[in-house]
Amino acid sequence: MSRYFLLLLLNLPFIIAAVLSAVTHYKLGRSSRRRLTVQVIIWVTVLIALASAEPIYTWLFSNELTTTEPLSLFDVVQITAIVVTFYIANRTRLKTQFLERRLQDLHQELSIRLSKD
Amino acid sequence: MSKKRIRVCIVIPSYNEEAVIADVIDGVTEVFKKSAYDFGIVCIDDGSRDRTASLAKEHGATVIRHILNTGAGGATATGLSYAEQNAYDVAITMDADGQHAPEDVLAGVKIMIHDNADLLIGSRLINTEGMSKVKIIGNKGLSFITYVLFGISSTDSQSGLRIFSRNALERLRWKTSGYEFCSEMLWRAKQIGLTISEYPIEAIYTEYSKAKGQNNWNAVNIVKSLLKRRIAELFG
Repeated sequence: MSRYFLLLLLNLPFIIAAVLSAVTHYKLGRSSRRRLTVQVIIWVTVLIALASAEPIYTWLFSNELTTTEPLSLFDVVQITAIVVTFYIANRTRLKTQFLERRLQDLHQELSIRLSKD
Repeated sequence: MSKKRIRVCIVIPSYNEEAVIADVIDGVTEVFKKSAYDFGIVCIDDGSRDRTASLAKEHGATVIRHILNTGAGGATATGLSYAEQNAYDVAITMDADGQHAPEDVLAGVKIMIHDNADLLIGSRLINTEGMSKVKIIGNKGLSFITYVLFGISSTDSQSGLRIFSRNALERLRWKTSGYEFCSEMLWRAKQIGLTISEYPIEAIYTEYSKAKGQNNWNAVNIVKSLLKRRIAELFG
């Protein structure tokens, strides 16, 4: 199996999960259309970059624009780790924002209700 | 048939203001008693450690106590939410440090109703008499940054004296809870198409309000937070 294909195979689940999560959040009214668009653009860009890594490398190498070695197994692991870290960081940011909002609303409503008692 | 009286809610977000809160409430009560409006004063005690809440209650205000200190933005949001839930027609926010003249507050309500605006800002910078140069520079700087980041042209984007229509109460929401909410609120109002206008007010600076007022260095934090909010908005 080509290492480029392995790279794509390892990262594809995270990209699909991220896009699905962005669409679900939008459909459930938890995020705006703009956020959905930005998220989809980011993840599709990552997918295109990974999918076109081999043709780009081949083109650069054949035109003598690079002399670097082809993708190593370590490179595959490293790039996958970066994508996974980005996926986790993105999810954590969204969850934190959502929880922050909920906490603010809860505190506000609780204060108003307690003042009536 | 009698005409329905306009109900006005005066929201006073406060934090450790026991020295002046009673005078502020008494001053507003005196002026509004002579007016044609039904009014209520609500003091949002933002987790004070002194007698702010009990003094406010003794002087006739409804007191909402925050369990945690959230900041001026959070306290203002609670006050406006209370006004919305209790079906007030107009809500006013004013500082608890005695910086605003009660006559200016009442004048604002009249202007707002006359102009049919959604959000009216009492600007201290149309007439800067009595304000120190440092404060003028700080406030004008923040108004300029508000203009650069959000495209809002306001002479005093940081003013605490603001008057809200029922429409604004129902629709206006913001995300920040510190002092940066002043600029963010204007931005959100613009986003949802509310009409924003200004009127000149006098700023009363006593030794107390000067000591309590915002340090100009806090402007750095405000700008940082606004920038963060602006960038986050770009990414949805």
